[in-house]
Amino acid sequence: MRQTAAALLQALARRDLAAASRILTDVLPVRLSPATVPYVLISPFVLLFLVFSLFPLVFSLYLAFHVWEPTDGLAAMTYVGIDNFRFALGDDWFWKSLGNTVWMALASGVPQHLVAIPLACFLNSGLGRGRDLAVGVFFLPYITSTVAIAILFSSLFSTDYGLINLALAHLHGIPLLGTLLPAQPVDWMGRPENIKPAISLIVFWRYLGFNVVLYLAALQTIPGDLYEAARMDGAGWFRQFWFITLPSLRPMLFFAVTLSVIGGLQLFEEPFILTGGKGGSDQAGMSTAIYLYRTAFDFNDFGAASAMSWLLFFLVAGLTYATNRAFRPRAGSQ
Amino acid sequence: MATRSSTSSSADRLAPLMAHLLVGVGGLLMLAPFWFMFVFATHSRTDIFSLPPPLWFGDASLGNLQILTSRLPFWRNLGLSLYVAAASTGFTLLFCSMGGYAFAMFEFRFKRALFALVMGTLLVPSFMNMIPTFMIMNALGWIDQPRALFIPGAANAFGVFLVRQFVIASIPRDLVEAARMDGCSELGIYWRIVLPLLRPALGTLGLITFIASWNNFIGPLIVMRSPEMYTLPLALRALQSPVDTEWGALMTGSAIATLPLLVLFMLSSRQLIAGLTSGAVK
Amino acid sequence: MSASPLRPARRAAGRLLAGLLTGQLAGQLAGQASRAAGLAGGAGGADDPPSGSPLIVAAFPAVDAIVREASGRWAARQAGVPLQIVSRQFNDHHTAMTTALSTASNLPDVMALEVGYVGRFALGHGLENLAAPAYGLDSERQRCVPYAMAQGTSPTGAQVAVPTDIGPGTLLYRHDLLERSGVDLAALTSTWEGFVGAGAQLKARTGALLLAHARDLKDILIRTGLAAGEGLYFNAQSEVLVQSPRFQRAFELARSVRRQGLDARVTAWSNDWSEGFRRGTIATQMSGAWLAGHLANWLAPQTAGRWRAAQLPEGAYAAYGGTFFAIPRALPAARKARAWALVRLLTFDRAQQLAAFRAHDAFPALRETYDDAFFAEPMPFLGGQPARLLWREAALRIQAPTVHKQDAFADEVINTELDKVMDQGKAIAPALADAARLLARRAHR
Repeated sequence: MRQTAAALLQALARRDLAAASRILTDVLPVRLSPATVPYVLISPFVLLFLVFSLFPLVFSLYLAFHVWEPTDGLAAMTYVGIDNFRFALGDDWFWKSLGNTVWMALASGVPQHLVAIPLACFLNSGLGRGRDLAVGVFFLPYITSTVAIAILFSSLFSTDYGLINLALAHLHGIPLLGTLLPAQPVDWMGRPENIKPAISLIVFWRYLGFNVVLYLAALQTIPGDLYEAARMDGAGWFRQFWFITLPSLRPMLFFAVTLSVIGGLQLFEEPFILTGGKGGSDQAGMSTAIYLYRTAFDFNDFGAASAMSWLLFFLVAGLTYATNRAFRPRAGSQ
Repeated sequence: MATRSSTSSSADRLAPLMAHLLVGVGGLLMLAPFWFMFVFATHSRTDIFSLPPPLWFGDASLGNLQILTSRLPFWRNLGLSLYVAAASTGFTLLFCSMGGYAFAMFEFRFKRALFALVMGTLLVPSFMNMIPTFMIMNALGWIDQPRALFIPGAANAFGVFLVRQFVIASIPRDLVEAARMDGCSELGIYWRIVLPLLRPALGTLGLITFIASWNNFIGPLIVMRSPEMYTLPLALRALQSPVDTEWGALMTGSAIATLPLLVLFMLSSRQLIAGLTSGAVK
Repeated sequence: MSASPLRPARRAAGRLLAGLLTGQLAGQLAGQASRAAGLAGGAGGADDPPSGSPLIVAAFPAVDAIVREASGRWAARQAGVPLQIVSRQFNDHHTAMTTALSTASNLPDVMALEVGYVGRFALGHGLENLAAPAYGLDSERQRCVPYAMAQGTSPTGAQVAVPTDIGPGTLLYRHDLLERSGVDLAALTSTWEGFVGAGAQLKARTGALLLAHARDLKDILIRTGLAAGEGLYFNAQSEVLVQSPRFQRAFELARSVRRQGLDARVTAWSNDWSEGFRRGTIATQMSGAWLAGHLANWLAPQTAGRWRAAQLPEGAYAAYGGTFFAIPRALPAARKARAWALVRLLTFDRAQQLAAFRAHDAFPALRETYDDAFFAEPMPFLGGQPARLLWREAALRIQAPTVHKQDAFADEVINTELDKVMDQGKAIAPALADAARLLARRAHR
């Protein structure tokens, strides 16, 4: 058994799927019954999952009940009960960071979907040959390197010389529109009230294309005859969208919204690079994930960071569950 | 009824125009930072740090490339990144399609609990796993080994979730039942019927996995110890310090690092999105 | 396995888990099936140095380059022990060192540490005490700049790191702008109030701003006038010091700079910052000696000849950055001996220290280099001023404040309150009281 397993792993490491499936069919009964097949299908996944995902989870739970000076080694943990949780719940900055996170998750997440769905529909039906190019263009921010994004946006958002303020200054000259816009250059990354909108804008910019691709892939699976039939019945584009497209998108919508909830509440990379890893003036751009990171690696308090990550975990889990509930009635039945 | 259709027809002509315009402008905004990345790659760090930044190509790209290749084993890092991303994509597609299909189509013990657990791992901030992951890799002897980067990621909650949603949405149970009736083996059903139908989902997942692996830096940061074994993001980051960064070389490296993704996206978008309509839905 | 970690009292349960994993998984998976993965691995985590095994140095830019350039000297001393340099991004490096120390595995032989992290790592016990008899560092303490040596000392007196380069602080200022505005250098550098007053005149006559950020002024002021053994934010008993006159004055002066519009409100190493230097809109910058090199090389080369250096007002002396080398305690003895030989070369070798100074502006921590003629050489970027003499003087006068575990957090809290004072009109006393309350909550964690 051990040798077969080793041979299988080797075949997999070679990415030799033919050999792997040969080994599998040798070992397993050739005709699996429907009762055993799901276990076979999920076993590689579960094995890896147990080793590489569950252990870290358990470790961080263990850590949440301890005080630890990490450079002293693993033996240096001291049990402190729920002290870390008590500290986290009474910590001003933890709550502040949660507030920031929810703010930015909503401000960047909601528009993503409100724009991505119509955009995907439009690209799917309205562009014909230009579609590949258009999808590509919207997807580019997702593959642009974070280093480039950091430099770029810090120069775009620059107060005195940035292109954004330059554009605003020009627009200010236009009569009617100008009165709505600020007369002074905006200090984007220096003033607490501007940091969150700036970050949300970047998150929106970065993940819009990602969602478009998800929705586009889902739109492909809607049979064309459905629309055909609807058109025969005289349904306009809106009714087609409302009664065919949207219901068909439901599983993907669920998936994409769940990812946005999870990703939004774990928001880390964009505010991290834009505020130099610190969260900005008055911690206005400090998401909970950044605060966790800083608590562990900057303030050297791994126990409190673990406790906070579990509190965040429960929050995200709760919201994911709520999303799940909201989408359930139809999601499983198709 | 007639009036309504006539007004809507004039709106019908205006609306697409507006939509094209809107999408065009939006696209330009999307494109701008990408453009700057390539422009910056051709400038020295002194130019990059001027304001407003340079808008057109400069002539420092060779110098930047020279700095890059003298500071890093850049081409080897690039090759390793390709290898890891490809392996990661392969494993993820295989394992996640199996898992996702099982979660969507079968009933088995602990299914709900297991799925909840899988989703649960999506919710833990990844840097909280740094130290335990390091412990595991160390115990396995996988430090400095590429497999430490692509094996763990193959059990990917995101992938299982994506495939599960796709199977629910687009693979009719009747089809699987019918195949079973025809005497097709269970693995045969998975391999010959389910996988082909999953192509759009797998294409999306593959693309996302490849990109995630390509840009991943926390993973290599934990397990890679020698500069020859760094993947690109880690190698490029190694050029950065708070006070003395070769920004020009860094931008050149970033731009080169984006090219494979660009090519991949072009290839796959034609394959996935354009070719799909005919392939998947029949 | 999943139940035992929940049982709290076992201090060593972490070890146990790792042991379980080592015994079970490593045997089954790693041994048999893992050689298949193509590209062969690099150096494994050897515990004993077989002859010819490389000496691993973990560092960040530009320390990596300094070590690389030392390899010739190293080969002359220790033929047959090649140097392997593992370079990471600055933050990545320190995160990786934390991770390696926490599990005491895959450690480098020698690690470079930036001064901010030295204080933090010194609070644990992961680094070797180089004052132990085996190293004989105690008798050689005097060879390094005293404050830097003190920074490498833990609260219990262990010497956990040896300084290699330091950042003696001075004021860099635009000589041409000062002349144009008619401000006297003495007026600029006598007192801090005079400094701010000179800034107002400077702005009125030339339009140039005194500082990149008002925060810089606060930073230096809270670092001056410390009693011996006093920390920046906490005393030895972890009592919070931020409501002292030191902080009052720092906040008042920073606020006055902001109210008069004398700062550019840009953070260091941003585009606006370097652009400000190039366009001459920022007239002074307090910083370590190394900034002159960066200005000359790439930040603002076009301003060559217009800058000068001066000692800070009121005889303030402060350090801006610095690099140390340390050896992990968990290394086997034989590897420690080799590592120590390299650390000695990098820190106690006159020729090596001077070479790094010339090539990378790494100001030496080793005092016996200070009689070298290089110090008196005129610096073209600073209009021919022999500014290294100033930095040398500053280096010998700096005092190191005592480090506290929560310094990084305190730094952040104080900056936040200062922003509120400057931007939102919060009064100073309640701002400092709020900071004190937050810090008191953390002081004993």
